[in-house]
Amino acid sequence: MALYYKFADSNLVTTHLQFMMNRYLQKKVIALFIFLFSLLTAVPAYAFEGNAANGKKLFKQNCAACHKLDKKAIGPALAGVTERRTEEWLLAWIRNNAELRASGDADANAIFKEYNGSVMSAFPNFSDQDIYDILQYTIEGDAPAVVVDGNTPGTVPVPTESPDYVLPMMIILGVLFLLLISLLVKMKNTLRVVQGREPESIVDEVSAFGRALVANKFIMTIGTLGVGVVFLSFTYWYFMGIGVEQNYQPSQPIAFSHKVHAGDNKIDCNYCHSTARHSKHSGIPSANVCMNCHKYIDGSEIKNADGSLKYDGERSPEIAKIYDAIGWDPEAVAFIDNYEQKPIKWVRIHNLPDLAYFNHAQHVNAGQLECQTCHGPVQEMEEVYQYSELTMGWCINCHRETEVQTANGYYEGYADKIKEYYHTDKITVDKIGGMECGKCHY
Amino acid sequence: MANSKKYWQGFEDLVDSPLAQKFAQNEFAEDLPTDEFLGNEEALGTSKTTRRDFLKYLGFSTAAATLAACEAPIVESIPYVVKPDSITPGIPTYYASTFFDGADYAPVLVKTREGRPIKIEPNDLATFNKATNARVQGSVLSLYDSARLRQPMVDGAAADWNSALAKVKAALESVSADKQIALVTGTVISPSTKQIIADLQQKYTNLKHINYDAVSVSAGLDIYQEILGERALPLYRFDKATLVVSLGADFLGDWNGQNVAPEYAAARKPGNKMLRHIQAESLMSISGANADKRIKTKPTEYGAAVVYLAKKIADATGYSSSFSVPALRDDLKAQLDGIAKELIAHKQTALFVAGGNDSDIQRFAMSINMMLGNSGVTVDYTEPVYVRQGSDADVAQLMADMKAGNVDVVLTAGVNPVYSLNGFADAASKVKMHVALTERLDETAEKAAVVLPTNHYLESWGDYMPKYGYYSLAQPTISPLFDTMQTQDILLQLVGDGYTYKGYLKEFYTSKVASQAGLGWNKALQNGVIESDALAMSESGVSATPALSENMLSALVTAANKIANQKATGMDLVFYQKAGIGTGEQANNPWLHELPDPITRISWDNYLTMSAADAASLGFQNWHESNGGMNGNYARVTVDGNTLENIPVFIQPGQTQGTIGLALGYGRSAAGKVANGLGVNAYALMNNMQLWQTNVTVEKVDGEHEFASVQLAHTMMGRKIVNEVTLEDYIHGDAHDWNHKHTFETYKGPLTSSETNLWDDLDHETLHMWNMSIDLNSCIGCGACVVACHIENNVPVVGKDEVRRHRDMHWLRIDRYYSSDMNEAVAEEQGVGVIGKYEAMERASENPEVVFQPVMCQHCNHAPCETVCPVAATTHSREGLNHMAYNRCIGTRYCANNCPYKVRRFNWFNYQANDKFAAVNPAQDDYGRMVLNPDVTVRARGVMEKCSMCIQRIQYAKLEAKKKGDKVIDGSFTTACAQACPTGSITFGDVNNKKSQVAVAKEDKRAYHLLDEVGTQPSVFYQTKVRNKA
Repeated sequence: MALYYKFADSNLVTTHLQFMMNRYLQKKVIALFIFLFSLLTAVPAYAFEGNAANGKKLFKQNCAACHKLDKKAIGPALAGVTERRTEEWLLAWIRNNAELRASGDADANAIFKEYNGSVMSAFPNFSDQDIYDILQYTIEGDAPAVVVDGNTPGTVPVPTESPDYVLPMMIILGVLFLLLISLLVKMKNTLRVVQGREPESIVDEVSAFGRALVANKFIMTIGTLGVGVVFLSFTYWYFMGIGVEQNYQPSQPIAFSHKVHAGDNKIDCNYCHSTARHSKHSGIPSANVCMNCHKYIDGSEIKNADGSLKYDGERSPEIAKIYDAIGWDPEAVAFIDNYEQKPIKWVRIHNLPDLAYFNHAQHVNAGQLECQTCHGPVQEMEEVYQYSELTMGWCINCHRETEVQTANGYYEGYADKIKEYYHTDKITVDKIGGMECGKCHY
Repeated sequence: MANSKKYWQGFEDLVDSPLAQKFAQNEFAEDLPTDEFLGNEEALGTSKTTRRDFLKYLGFSTAAATLAACEAPIVESIPYVVKPDSITPGIPTYYASTFFDGADYAPVLVKTREGRPIKIEPNDLATFNKATNARVQGSVLSLYDSARLRQPMVDGAAADWNSALAKVKAALESVSADKQIALVTGTVISPSTKQIIADLQQKYTNLKHINYDAVSVSAGLDIYQEILGERALPLYRFDKATLVVSLGADFLGDWNGQNVAPEYAAARKPGNKMLRHIQAESLMSISGANADKRIKTKPTEYGAAVVYLAKKIADATGYSSSFSVPALRDDLKAQLDGIAKELIAHKQTALFVAGGNDSDIQRFAMSINMMLGNSGVTVDYTEPVYVRQGSDADVAQLMADMKAGNVDVVLTAGVNPVYSLNGFADAASKVKMHVALTERLDETAEKAAVVLPTNHYLESWGDYMPKYGYYSLAQPTISPLFDTMQTQDILLQLVGDGYTYKGYLKEFYTSKVASQAGLGWNKALQNGVIESDALAMSESGVSATPALSENMLSALVTAANKIANQKATGMDLVFYQKAGIGTGEQANNPWLHELPDPITRISWDNYLTMSAADAASLGFQNWHESNGGMNGNYARVTVDGNTLENIPVFIQPGQTQGTIGLALGYGRSAAGKVANGLGVNAYALMNNMQLWQTNVTVEKVDGEHEFASVQLAHTMMGRKIVNEVTLEDYIHGDAHDWNHKHTFETYKGPLTSSETNLWDDLDHETLHMWNMSIDLNSCIGCGACVVACHIENNVPVVGKDEVRRHRDMHWLRIDRYYSSDMNEAVAEEQGVGVIGKYEAMERASENPEVVFQPVMCQHCNHAPCETVCPVAATTHSREGLNHMAYNRCIGTRYCANNCPYKVRRFNWFNYQANDKFAAVNPAQDDYGRMVLNPDVTVRARGVMEKCSMCIQRIQYAKLEAKKKGDKVIDGSFTTACAQACPTGSITFGDVNNKKSQVAVAKEDKRAYHLLDEVGTQPSVFYQTKVRNKA
């Protein structure tokens, strides 16, 4: 949504108002109203127009680490900043606040002192328009929340819960079946009586059938073999499954949602698992990495699917666990001095045996694989589970099929030789020794 | 281990009271209450649980428990709360530091993983002592030694630092002006530490600092000081020498702190300028084993020999030789004549070195070099070496002062004189307070009133000036594991002006070194070593090269007379240091005990080495037991009233008749569970800090000793295992004659083993082909590679008993072979029969030539092991490696049986958990485990293991290259053995890269495959040894 405003008592007002009215006639009344309102409240005089949508983008990229609109974070809350400060002051401050402070500006130094000397980055590359856009965003704030699940915004999604009909149905069917059997027996016996024979109980009949079965050697042999095969195959697969922990989904000490982070917010896996590119370990992020964002995102804005606030605007108890681990005082917006930090004991999900050597860097960096290839749709997982089997057969199979990223300078010269030697254009991992024991076992 | 110690459970046990006897008889101290549950007949009789039911329940619960155990355990994964920037889990971080323990000096790189130091590597930037030896390599384990002291102790009880330091300060304050405070340290070469000691001396003016070297070279230092005014030794430049003559100096093993192996090996490169090495010595030392010519000499003959040589040389070079020559046996004279002639012929590029701690011999050695004009060329006085500072006179004075009661407080820092100095314990008992600064509660600390625990060097800061113009730094690579402080910090506490050593050192560096070095503090720490002539921190500045003055010549006359007056009867006892244990500083390090001695191939022991002739006359024998172990007799040795009992005797080929050798560093009583009770303490026989003793009596005593020897066969039995050639033949002869390639008769005519094939070969062309070249000419047998391999690959320590059964787990061994007087030609000439011939071949010569051959898995491309494995646990890779999948191995040992090189080792036990190995295996305690390499599996019991050619390093290097998008650059990485090798005799690389060093070495005319005739086509090849025979 783009709205153009104009504040001022200068002659620019007229031209801009004209321009605005020409282009956005439908908005003129509101603009005029705000203009008049601004005159009434005698705010500092401004003459800018900003694009709030662009401002929001810039704000998220550059400011959101330290500022929020509605509350104090590392820096002050920015809603209404245009009412508190003059336009020139804001431009100067945002461009290079250190310079402004050095010039002896009283306001600048006061605010610097108020926030314990936290240094704000300078943004010399911002154009005036960029800054206007951001300021516009601070005036307008966020658009009403759009619920992500595809339902109409603002409406309460109706849970499509299906009642469990299975059990009653089974019971009804079972009763019907028994009824039918007894009806059949009754009919049969009635027929027998009609024919002048003795009625037979169902038990006798079944046992007679059983005796006939037992007497039949062929059926018995086949039956025994069948049972044996089923039993053996069951045993085989049971034992083969020992240690295969596919779908293992332990509960974690913090209800961390990959869906929210990697899915909804599209945070790159490498941002938190930063060592995956460099090292054999993908690395569980240390709490200080969480704090890069969670210094100012305390979870109070998390919404339920129906748009209501999940924690009633309070801090999320899960995020509070990070604060507790690292020693962050959200009230004072500062780390607690001499805090005895408590490591977070995550439960490891992917457990390779010690005898197998696996290296993330080899696969992610040299092999250019997506994380999801092995870990599955993590971005959709509320709680992570083991997606793949992680058996040797699974590894080997992938090595047979996956092509080597020969664009890497390491393969210069090798690739041609391999193609020539194996008479193929497709260099899969097994062609470079990816099936040899010692590549993973040493 | 021959350990018959009895441990008392309590005092009652000792006095043998009736109560103790009763306890000894009964298994349980109290009667077990069996009546309570078995006494009630009625309840038992009416119980519904029958015996059968009970067994059913038992069976069910066992089965249920077994099935339940199939559930995977919950593994916790705990990340850092705040990850340090310098640590990436899974990626090693290297720090430059320095190792110096008073004996060995080496600038090193410390490899750390997740904050734990796990490996020591040589620092490539170093130019002095640039190589690491076995002890430096092994030193990382000493950090995790659970025997280290964990808190200060006062009067035998644990105390806190404040009270301990207060007590020491009070004692220091109370020393009256006429009494002394003695600070006894090992050699101090740290400029900043010297400054701290000076600060301390300002505060306590009666504090005397004594440099004490357990193995002293004071004689050489004294003469240097006399002539040049500084306590130092000249820098011996083996790289500039064409002839080195050593008189009892084992410069490749234990000498004066200079590690000359790299320069020695470089100078021994085969060619016209190859260094010739003549060694006259009594024991078979590593240097003697490497010599081109070795002359058996008694230490009591060294004096006369050196005077004789000096006379000959003085006459030839025109110096006055008014000194008289003592009597000398004729055959030795003839040998010396030859040596003198050679020395004169190699004037200016010759080098004469003498071992021991005898000032007369050292004076002559120095003079001979001056006469020959070697000074300034091979003997460099412009870069004096400071790594030994110990003064025998100071030590003697201290002992006298202590005995006279003139010393009130003695502080021993990093030294163990109660163990290593005869009479120190008695003298120290006269001192009011003894304070020990030590890493462990050793023999000295046990006697001290206050014990202050010090940091391991990997937890410490430090600076070192081992040589003029050469400065190196040490930095901590881990926080102190225990409540310890580094020595300098303790001294600064005693000075009491509020410095920490880190701050002190940084200030010292920035104010005194930085400007000359031209390096800032951080860069200097990163480099570790700084070399600059501008570093003028020695007392006297650059020394001038001295000439042989009249004074010195007249001093020679007196010295010659002193030598002539020495009367010696009986045997000579020579002390030596083993490649692993050295002076005994790291005696509690199981890696170093497990390393077999390069010459005797015995581990976990010290023993008397004796010549076969002496052994025969005194009745000593060595014999082999049916389990493959070797046994020997015990001897009693008496030197000047001091007696050592029960020293096992080992008969050593090449040992000079009339001499015995005994290694130092053993016989510890308070070093820790590994070292205590191993061997005998040779220091107990060391009088006047002399490295050989005369008038020694040896008697045979009862008892049999069990040795742990890994090699019982001494000779090659006439086979070409180590190929040798003389320099003459190498230069002028035809390689086909001296490095003959074996050929097989085929239908195509004779073909070499690489041309013959039964199989379709793997693709060895498209990617890498890893090969290794081992130059037998430069391998000196020191054993650094063995220890490095042990560390890198988590090789288990198995202890003496298992080594004795040849179950040592070393992936890499260094075979040592002696020459024999018998060979095919001699047998034919003398008409000796086959049996007689082989019997004679088994015996080493009187004065054998020695060769060393490192043997690891040869990674045969036609591997006999691979074809016999029933489960395909060992397979071949296209990169030329023989892989071993431990988890696949079922332990049939067919492969080991079929291996012609015998390099496969079998895990007989679960060494990291079995109680039997609790005393020796570091992986059995929580500290020792920290040294394990996380990139290498710890093998379980019942599997084969062997050299993997450091496949973890290969894989790592390839990945690093891929991460950079670059080729694997030759020399960018190497195996652990090659990296540790001080002489660079091991070259590793990719032969598919034709420019690589190893590809060049493969084409060398000296290259050959071990047991080529077996046709295994190994990926490891050797370079023929060249002997520079005159």
